[in-house]
Amino acid sequence: MKKIEAIIQPFKLDEVKEALKGIGIDGMTISEVRGHGRQKGHKEVYRGQEYNVDLLPKVKLEMVVPSSRSEEVLKALTAAARTGKIGDGKIFVYDVAEAIRIRNDDRGESAL
Amino acid sequence: MENRPSSDGLASIRRDFLASGDAATALAERNAQVDRLVLEAATTLLLPAAPTGLAVLAVGGYGRRQLFPYSDVDLLLLFESEDLAVASKDAIAVFLRYLWDSSMRVSHSVRTPAECTEVHDRNIELNISLLDQRYLTGDRALYAGLAEKLPRFIHGNRGPLVRNLAQLARARHAKYAGTFYHLEPNVKETPGGLRDHQLVCWLDQLHGAQEGPSEELEAAFRFLGRLRCYLHCQSGRDNNALSFEAQDGIAELWREGDAAQWMRQYYRHARVVYRAAIRALDASEAQFSSLFAQFRDWRSRVSNADFAVHRERVHFRAPQRLDVEPELALSLFEFVARHGFRLSLEAEQRIESRIAALRAYFAEPRPLWPALNQILSLPHAPLAVRAMHETGVLAAIFPEMERIECLVIRDFYHRYTVDEHTLVTMQNLWKLPNGYRDLLAEVKQPSVVMFALLFHDVGKGVPGEGPVDASVRLAQGAMVRVQMPWPDRETALFLIRKHLELSQVMQSRDLFDPQTIRDVAHQMETVERLKALTLVTYADISAVNPEVMTPWRAEQLWQLYLAVYNELTRELETERIEAIPAGPPERIAFLEGFPTRYLRTHTEQEIDEHMALEEKSRIKKAAVDIRKLESAWQLTLVAADRPFLFASVAGTLSSFGMNILKAEAFANRRGLVLDTFTFEDPSRTLELNPTEADRLRATTERVLAGKTDVRELLRNRPKPVLPSRKARIPATVSFDSEASRTATLVEIVAEDRPGLLYDLASAISSDGGNIEVVLIDTQAHKAIDVFYVTAEGKKLGPEKQQVLAAALRKAAGA
Repeated sequence: MKKIEAIIQPFKLDEVKEALKGIGIDGMTISEVRGHGRQKGHKEVYRGQEYNVDLLPKVKLEMVVPSSRSEEVLKALTAAARTGKIGDGKIFVYDVAEAIRIRNDDRGESAL
Repeated sequence: MENRPSSDGLASIRRDFLASGDAATALAERNAQVDRLVLEAATTLLLPAAPTGLAVLAVGGYGRRQLFPYSDVDLLLLFESEDLAVASKDAIAVFLRYLWDSSMRVSHSVRTPAECTEVHDRNIELNISLLDQRYLTGDRALYAGLAEKLPRFIHGNRGPLVRNLAQLARARHAKYAGTFYHLEPNVKETPGGLRDHQLVCWLDQLHGAQEGPSEELEAAFRFLGRLRCYLHCQSGRDNNALSFEAQDGIAELWREGDAAQWMRQYYRHARVVYRAAIRALDASEAQFSSLFAQFRDWRSRVSNADFAVHRERVHFRAPQRLDVEPELALSLFEFVARHGFRLSLEAEQRIESRIAALRAYFAEPRPLWPALNQILSLPHAPLAVRAMHETGVLAAIFPEMERIECLVIRDFYHRYTVDEHTLVTMQNLWKLPNGYRDLLAEVKQPSVVMFALLFHDVGKGVPGEGPVDASVRLAQGAMVRVQMPWPDRETALFLIRKHLELSQVMQSRDLFDPQTIRDVAHQMETVERLKALTLVTYADISAVNPEVMTPWRAEQLWQLYLAVYNELTRELETERIEAIPAGPPERIAFLEGFPTRYLRTHTEQEIDEHMALEEKSRIKKAAVDIRKLESAWQLTLVAADRPFLFASVAGTLSSFGMNILKAEAFANRRGLVLDTFTFEDPSRTLELNPTEADRLRATTERVLAGKTDVRELLRNRPKPVLPSRKARIPATVSFDSEASRTATLVEIVAEDRPGLLYDLASAISSDGGNIEVVLIDTQAHKAIDVFYVTAEGKKLGPEKQQVLAAALRKAAGA
């Protein structure tokens, strides 16, 4: 099993969700996050005051998928989240040791 | 003890209820069943350990014989002494274990009579549960002793008991956002649920009320009781959540038709209970708080000729006048909106009894907008609108609202019915966080934003038509009926039509892409509309449910607002009217070169008037018009551009003691300047002396023609009184040379004072700067001035900026 963690542009969320649904991935955790990488902040002046937006709004998606499906998910995810510009985000993939469904104690891939 | 009937007995109660729907029988059977079991267990397992000095009491819901099938069974083990209780520890354990093993969820407490007659601030539930105590078995004399003391204890401690009970209830209401219009309510805990019904009964009991609850309230109790019984029987546990699935189940089982339609019955009953609970709470709290009483008496002084305030509630002074003067109802709600009092029961009933006549009266097109405008602009507007909704007056004026009354639209994120969501949007508009709150202060007519919120979702109640289109259509009819003036109508329609626009952009467009911002700016057209729509968006999103407007999302919306605001201010200079579609040549010549903002912010009639002014200006080189607006004055001038022109007019107005609120200066391609100054006349000079307006006009024209020196006029100007140093707004001056292709944008935010604009504009002009475009706004004591400045036809270089910044800071008093 792999855990896929993707930091994407907020406006790409619906598209990414649709793409994942299209390949049968429904379960995911989504959080509203802020951060920056190469896409540096941004400055707006309003009423004579500078508003520095150093931390840009992003959306974080987390999901655990069977290892055999990981490549397919990554492909769908990158295709849907890409605009080609700086700030599109990043994806991290981790190995997962175990998954447990709390309700009935299912283990491994059947708990996904 | 062979028979352990509880689980089997429950199964039969469950089966019978689901077949018959008879909750009274189900409750009676369950109570009898539990009584039998407890008596039996107590007799054999508990009482032998303490044959005297122990009584078993049923308390809480079980005590009042309202034990729902899977509710907890509350028992009080009353021991005459703590020692006896300690000695009986083992027997108590065996007794409770037996009940638990019989699938009964027991919630017990062990107390002495003395503990039962003390106020427990930390365990309010114990005191409250004793209001419903009932003897089951054991030492009758011990119980009799307590039963004798209890009424005295309750009477003597009514104050703290009521306070504690009210505190619990208020906290519970707050948890559910103080509304019963939840899409998936909890039939016990949600406002208007069974707990509130019980609250009314307890408060009545504490006050020693003689008459029982009203028939309406009892009908609501029966309705809710039956629902709760269903939820317990259906899920086989203490489940009180009326989920969408449960709603479907009930509609099908009881052949109620459409679940959403059936839910309207629920809301009607919940409304009866909630209103009774709120009334009982208010009355009780008021009675037991002396500080509150003093405040209340002080507040009652706001009473006037039409309405009296008594115990925080508004009463009609002459209720019968409502029969002949239907608009008295509007005055009543204006009173509510102004002072923040709720209606008295009598006032509510009076209005409700006259609702048919009010409907007939308001159905005719009438000039109601001035009154509505007033109600919707006052600080307690949301309270007034809610009261209008509850009494039916809102639907009498706007029958369109009936389409969304108690309307359930199932949606994962939405928590409330459509009408409640609408009322919450309006509440949200008046409790905005910083930043957004400033926007509301800057919006010219909050009433138009409120109106747009009132109608934004009305179209959801129209099947088969796009909800937004339907809302627009229904709002149009309503606005014509109440005779709202045209510009306000246009703004309201824009807000309704676009109410989803900004949230859609936030969701699907890159907010850091300049193209996104240009597109949004293009749709907004003016800064004024952008501000209003940002407010509508904030209020709408945060009314979906209390958690939806996360700080992250609020920041996104603010970011979008900022970027579009800056884009629109930039456009002032860059977007000029170039191609005029068609029209007479003089009109084309007049408009060419003005910022596009000019067309967006002026009506055809105003453009005609400006052209007439231009005509006049040809003879005298300048023409000035002064007129009274609703709450201020406006000076418009047309003249050929020349250095110091803007500064001299600002100076002339100051020399007359006028306070400039807003100003705009635009130049067209032919070098003709059109300046508009909105100003206030603090000493009402113009109003009281009609000739003064003529003198101001003539003086301005002379100043424009160079015949009078504005410095002479200003020589005798009184020195302005500045606020204390602490209250002052520090002046900031910022330059932006990127914003426009040809000019430098200078933005000054400073403490407003008479003559400030003259000083700033003079500082720019003295420095050789030419003012191309100006947009001035004031907000309480703060002036926000944007100038587009050039020097010798070019942008300002860094050195020039430095010199000018120093001069402007000095002028602004920094």
